[in-house]
Amino acid sequence: MLEVRELLAGYGETQVIHGVDLAVREGQFHAILGRNGVGKTTTLKTIVGLLPAFGGEVVLQGNSIARRQPYDIARLGIGYVPETRDIFGSLSVTENLQLAARLAARRDRKWTIERVFEFFPNLANRRENGGNQLSGGEQQMLAIGRALVMNPTLLILDEPTEGLAPIVVRQIFDKLTELKREGMTMLLVEQNFHFATRLADTVSIFGRGQCVWTGTSEALRADAELHEKWLGV
Amino acid sequence: MVADVDFWLTQFLNGLQLSMLLFLLSIGLTIIFGLMHFVNLAHGALYMVGAYAGVSAAAALGNFWAALLIAPIAVMLVGIFLYAAIIRHMRRAGPMNQVLVTFGLIFVIVDLVRIVWGDIALGMAQPAILSGPAEFLGVVYPAYRLFIIAVGLIVMAALSLVLSRTQIGAMVRAGVENDAMAACLGINVERLFFAVFCVGCALAGLAGAIAAPVFSATPSMATDILIPTLIVVVIGGLGSLRGAIAGSLIVGFIQTFGAVVMPEFASVLVYVLLAAVLIVKPAGLLPARS
Ligand SMILES: Nc1ncnc2c1ncn2[C@@H]1O[C@H](COP(=O)(O)OP(=O)(O)OP(=O)(O)O)[C@@H](O)[C@H]1O
Ligand SMILES: [Mg+2]
Repeated sequence: MLEVRELLAGYGETQVIHGVDLAVREGQFHAILGRNGVGKTTTLKTIVGLLPAFGGEVVLQGNSIARRQPYDIARLGIGYVPETRDIFGSLSVTENLQLAARLAARRDRKWTIERVFEFFPNLANRRENGGNQLSGGEQQMLAIGRALVMNPTLLILDEPTEGLAPIVVRQIFDKLTELKREGMTMLLVEQNFHFATRLADTVSIFGRGQCVWTGTSEALRADAELHEKWLGV
Repeated sequence: MVADVDFWLTQFLNGLQLSMLLFLLSIGLTIIFGLMHFVNLAHGALYMVGAYAGVSAAAALGNFWAALLIAPIAVMLVGIFLYAAIIRHMRRAGPMNQVLVTFGLIFVIVDLVRIVWGDIALGMAQPAILSGPAEFLGVVYPAYRLFIIAVGLIVMAALSLVLSRTQIGAMVRAGVENDAMAACLGINVERLFFAVFCVGCALAGLAGAIAAPVFSATPSMATDILIPTLIVVVIGGLGSLRGAIAGSLIVGFIQTFGAVVMPEFASVLVYVLLAAVLIVKPAGLLPARS
């Protein structure tokens, strides 16, 4: 589904990603773990086209996307839930979803705006509210719903639990579990070890701009040394 | 006393008329700026081109209404040419370069206009139906100036409706707020920018053409209107329709009433206001991004 090969990327002159390799298979839940500042977000931003790739290759379903524009990559089927959520505050909840739903016209419409409201009932009560009137949890749900109505072939989520209350984290966990059961292909960046390893089939660990380990969730949980070396504080 | 009321009502209409012209110019400028952070100082020069295009079209066709249609289209074509030749290549050049290049463009365009139309002011006939006086709330006021006010109000209402109610309006608002995220939803922000740019140019052309019968077409229009327009954009807040409306009304009325009430300070009054707004609300009164 998605293959990242020897990716080099960064900001302006500063290179931050020094050769990342990553392969997400269709129908898989793939998580990326790693300490603060190792380049997880930078990698995602480069995949979705917000940052230029200095080198390497990104292939989505056989299409090379490393040098494409973000709107083009979105049209090819990547739904992106950014770390900062980036809800449009001046648009209503419904308008936020409608903008993203424009794209779905050309695909099978599994996810409609109505279905997002059933999936996240909290949002349904807030339809006409402005994006800037939502709580952090509601914003996160809207960010996920907005990516879903694009009917993506790959859903990318950057730390969806960051700064949320445990009960909301639990809700998001249940929803991602449901999506996984439906067969949605997902790439998740997380700091929350248990959240990620319980959901993921495959985990990649990042350290200093590189992918330093890839394996199953079970293998990672069994390996205390790995945890100590790359994830412990 | 009655004469007094008439006097102030007349001034009120004068202020409104100036506000509408400022609105037609500033709305394009502010949304172009808000959407793509592009500074186009040549916007005032497009207003001037609109006036000359209107004068020539009216003279050639003998029809004011046809001229009112042709001038915005002509200015939009000039805008498309500028976009393809210059602006497109300067999108990531930074504000300093954009300011310098579009500032230079003003002189290029003004000189081209001088070559084509000469240096003297050219008048444009008002349509017969609007050439007489009209009565408004008991005051006698030129019908044509009421027409300018009406055009401004209609454009204002139409733009409000498009921006608040339509999909393309939502796309523009989203793009102004966060162009990167808009792109991640599959919106081609550059194409959206181009469309908005074309509309902005057409409105500048329209403003020039409707102003020509009152003020005549002169090369100095390009720079005379630029400063108040920029002040409107800064006072109102970048990228916002409501900001452009509020800013236009404030600047239009301050300039008009300032000239009547305290003529000796009139020219500095807007700058005092600008400074005051920038101190109290640096982002302007109603910015698009909060
Ligand atoms: N806009 C930027 N300009 C320059 N450097 C940046 C920028 N954003 C991040 N960096 C640097 O790039 C490196 C990787 O940052 P990145 O945000 O990708 O880390 P991360 O793994 O997502 O961390 P976190 O877990 O805190 O979100 C860091 O050293 C950071 O300082
Ligand atoms: Mg991050």
